[in-house]
Amino acid sequence: MITLKNIYKKFDDQYVLNDLNMTLEKGKCNVVIGQSGSGKTVLMKSIVGLLEIDSGEILYDERNFTTMGKKERQLLRKEMGMLFQGGALFDSLTVEENVMFPLNMFTSDNYSSKLKRVDFCLERVGLRGVNQLMTAELSGGMRKRAAIARAIALSPRYLFCDEPNSGLDPRTAIRIDNLISEITREYNITTLVNSHDMNSVLEIGDKVIYIYQGCQCWEGTKEEVLHTDNEALNSFVFATRMAQQIKDV
Amino acid sequence: MLKALTNIGRYLVMLRAVFSKPEKFSIYYRQTIREMEDHGLGSIGIVAIVSFFVGAAITIQTDFNIENPLLPRYIIGVTVRDSLLLEFSSTMVGLVIAGKSGSSIASQIGMMRVTEQIDALEVMGINAAAYLMQPKLIALVIFLPILCALSVALGLLGGYLVCLVGDVVPVSDYIYGIQYVFYPYYLAYAMLKSAVYAFIITTVAGYFGYHVSGGALEVGRSSTQAFVLNCILILMANLVLTNIILH
Repeated sequence: MITLKNIYKKFDDQYVLNDLNMTLEKGKCNVVIGQSGSGKTVLMKSIVGLLEIDSGEILYDERNFTTMGKKERQLLRKEMGMLFQGGALFDSLTVEENVMFPLNMFTSDNYSSKLKRVDFCLERVGLRGVNQLMTAELSGGMRKRAAIARAIALSPRYLFCDEPNSGLDPRTAIRIDNLISEITREYNITTLVNSHDMNSVLEIGDKVIYIYQGCQCWEGTKEEVLHTDNEALNSFVFATRMAQQIKDV
Repeated sequence: MLKALTNIGRYLVMLRAVFSKPEKFSIYYRQTIREMEDHGLGSIGIVAIVSFFVGAAITIQTDFNIENPLLPRYIIGVTVRDSLLLEFSSTMVGLVIAGKSGSSIASQIGMMRVTEQIDALEVMGINAAAYLMQPKLIALVIFLPILCALSVALGLLGGYLVCLVGDVVPVSDYIYGIQYVFYPYYLAYAMLKSAVYAFIITTVAGYFGYHVSGGALEVGRSSTQAFVLNCILILMANLVLTNIILH
């Protein structure tokens, strides 16, 4: 479980996160939604420590990340897996080397057991037989799946996915969403997904958090999203004409 | 002024991270060998071509400038050797490597920054600055002095061939000259300068790549800025080191 208390983050004089409080539950896909520029990516980068917050507390299962030293943070980060928008695979390495990278860095296993783990992770995300391909040879969906395989290689306790299905066709996007959801349940991990894709929210959002102007504006389940009275959320969810028509029906 | 001080501060902070203890020595060792191959062995060709022709040209120019019949002809060999050792080989190779490897380091790390690969390393709990720059730094600090020594040898070879083919100086005089009153200290001086240049090239290029933000345009710009600053710093370091060591 990850708990955020009174998070503030500003760039110049503009607050991007403004007294944000939320709890990300274990074994669930916690989906943060919001318009572009609402602070979703800043929030995720702050939680993993790529950006420093101005004030507030970030607790990973009661361990205060904000007051931790560099060494402690590095140790905690070994429990995290992250899927970036573009995949962020290392383009000088093959798929196998990418997935093996965290294992090489943080385990003392021999090559065959690391390879076994790599094959397992690739198999798990539906990428068999692509070990020796370079990342440039992969399609968008394959890159995301390879990035998920790398993220789960060390069996993380926390998984962060920043817009996991951006730039993907609907079918591949759903496949990626389902994969994230399955992995979350299978390993009982705390997953945070940033998205502005409502299909994704309705597919995997065990817990949905809507942030608006840097604050948590609404919280509920994927079923409740469609029946809320919250005006800001309604205008976000039913932004398209088609969605509005479905609502009216 | 404030911007310059900020940059120096960020550079020093980055250096501190670069000199941190590696997460795993075996990975860093393998990476260092790979960097030696890329930036060291991969640069032999360009260094060889430049050094050979510069050595040949210096020989002709020295011959052209020494017209006094009282001076022995072997003095041309001495001048070519000392010019290469004291100035040309170290500084010239430094500038060539600043262009070749420095730009490559800045753009490689810069692309990793804009495509979030550096963020991915940080999230994994890896010291990205050390992982990306330490192997490059060690590889170049070891290999640039070797390239410098090679450059001296090939420069002298260039001069020898000019003497042989172009009838500039009798070959025997040239050979005698390049062996005449040789101070091994000069070679050590040249190699020391090269090691300092390697440090400048890697860390400055790494700094520009590491702190880039934006897209491909900014990566290209940072690569150019890294090259320009590297050239200036190499020439400044040359002056300072020459003054300290030889004065």
